[in-house]
Amino acid sequence: MPDRPTRIDLIRNIERALRDESLQRQMGKAMPASRKARADAAAELPEWESLRSAAAEIKDHVLANLESYLGQLESQVRALGGVVHWASDAAEARVIITDLARSRGVRRIVKSKSMTTEEIFLNPALESAGASVVETDLGEYVVQLAGERPSHLIAPVVHKPTGEISDLFVKKLGVPRYERPEDLARVAREVLRAEFLAAEMGITGVNFAIAETGTLVIVENEGNARLTTARPRIHVAVMGIEKVLPRLADLSVFLRILARSGTGQRSSVYVSLLTGRRRVGETDGPEELHLVILDNGRRRLLADPDLRGALRCIRCGACQNECPVYQHAGGHAYGSVYAGPIGAVLTPAYEGLEQARDLPFASTLCRACADVCPVKIDLPGMLVELRARAVRTGLAPRRDRMLVGAWTFFTRSPARFVLAGSLGRLAQRLLARGGKIERLPYPLSGWTAHRTAPLLASRPFRKRWKPPQEGPQ
Amino acid sequence: MNREALFIERAGQVGVTVIAVGTLDEAVERAVELCRERRVQRAALWDAPEMAPIRAGLRAEGVEILDPRGSFETLAHAEIGITGADWGVAETGTIVLASGPGQPQAASLLPPLHLAVLRADRIVPDLATLLELCGPLPSALVFITGPSRSADIGLVPVLGAHGPTAVTVLLVAG
Repeated sequence: MPDRPTRIDLIRNIERALRDESLQRQMGKAMPASRKARADAAAELPEWESLRSAAAEIKDHVLANLESYLGQLESQVRALGGVVHWASDAAEARVIITDLARSRGVRRIVKSKSMTTEEIFLNPALESAGASVVETDLGEYVVQLAGERPSHLIAPVVHKPTGEISDLFVKKLGVPRYERPEDLARVAREVLRAEFLAAEMGITGVNFAIAETGTLVIVENEGNARLTTARPRIHVAVMGIEKVLPRLADLSVFLRILARSGTGQRSSVYVSLLTGRRRVGETDGPEELHLVILDNGRRRLLADPDLRGALRCIRCGACQNECPVYQHAGGHAYGSVYAGPIGAVLTPAYEGLEQARDLPFASTLCRACADVCPVKIDLPGMLVELRARAVRTGLAPRRDRMLVGAWTFFTRSPARFVLAGSLGRLAQRLLARGGKIERLPYPLSGWTAHRTAPLLASRPFRKRWKPPQEGPQ
Repeated sequence: MNREALFIERAGQVGVTVIAVGTLDEAVERAVELCRERRVQRAALWDAPEMAPIRAGLRAEGVEILDPRGSFETLAHAEIGITGADWGVAETGTIVLASGPGQPQAASLLPPLHLAVLRADRIVPDLATLLELCGPLPSALVFITGPSRSADIGLVPVLGAHGPTAVTVLLVAG
């Protein structure tokens, strides 16, 4: 099965990303632009900080009363003629959805962008059940054609330069080579329009689900989620348990922060509030509505007081745009569906710290992510907590344990500190060439892998420093 | 700035053309003009009382009016979709469409041009106010803020990703 049992080799992935010039160029262009768009959009609202606090409070309230709101949502969706399915893990969710497709003879499926369905590896399962599955978000469509995975929460193909997409379309769609993004988008629109008209099932994620009314809220810019939910006979919506909100009135806070944080828009182009299936006399909307509510590690995370706050996440991508590590590593380096700072918390939480042990270390703890997170998730605090757990359970890299051990030893007394300096000055006589050190031995070799190390001063600071004169004046 | 002026400004900033008109008759004239300019042959029109004069105006121009209860395949052939709008939101320049019998999503989604008729007294200051006022929810309540767009390829914004390339609002004085 696609569920990954092996350890994510973050270091190797990042080494590869750093050598990938086109990735570096793409990210170097995209990330600063996204950061500026978010900052401008946030600055426009004097109440920005209170919106963030309100959003965090509502999410915390939901998480503290989760089962009761989920129960309310279930009964509302049922009252509207929808069917609610509970999936405890990815495998269960796959079985539920593939059974639905099979029992209804579904051959063609359209999907709108959903990280939750990425998380459960849904597409391969549906394909082996004999259905074709087409991603209809432009970026996701490119990712699917390329046989890749999305590398960013809201810009799935941010890693790919336009030229590569041109080549991909020639190869996979047999169209002439188009260079301009608008031509490529037009080609995709035409291909996908036909898919919408032919599909019997539409699968979407859910941005927010309103317990009070049973409404599913889907936010997008392209219109593909609208087509996915308006045209096919069956709509399957997949949501994590944390997506529920108590009341319709709670929605305005989240809609105001989501688009501004993600793309810098005041509002996304389309926000669809879907309440039940097609009604009497209507000609679009699904005849059958299925809501799959997924746990997949979330209740375990909910029971973890140090990391629970990560369930506030509304998947805006702001922490990724802001993160100096993500900007250079790119999304794929994180080896999982969720990348960047939020991924470095969610992946260990969902897939186990053992597999994802390196991820919490992929941060400078500069707090840029925490400063922009619209729901105020303490990402750096959680990364530190996960690091501590990695150390306590012996999962931290041996090298780090050696370095911290040495640091602890040499800083325990002034005499040892002096000794460290003397040893260092002795060692650098052997290592230095032309006033700098090009290569340090293990366990310090990581330091000089991409830069030179400075020399220790020949006369230490403590010998040069004169204490200020005591006394008056 | 009053609500109406803010709506016009904000809608303009996301690429919506807002045409302010004094009366519904004037709205009919502008709708007909727009279809003439664009050489529209087929229009998908919502089935609503306030649409009746526009329907009559377009018929007189020789524009074929597609049955809004028709299939997606049929409505996809329209060059323009003409709908009402239940609300406008000033802060974001958003129009809000409630779907219902004869008022399908297809009309605001499939044709390359979406023309919406909004009464100025239906403009609310912000989302919070809208959510208080909007009452019992239809099967689909859709907030539309500008033409369909994507910046997925090469980070270049492209209009008309899946939905309309252009959105025009006929703002009828309240």
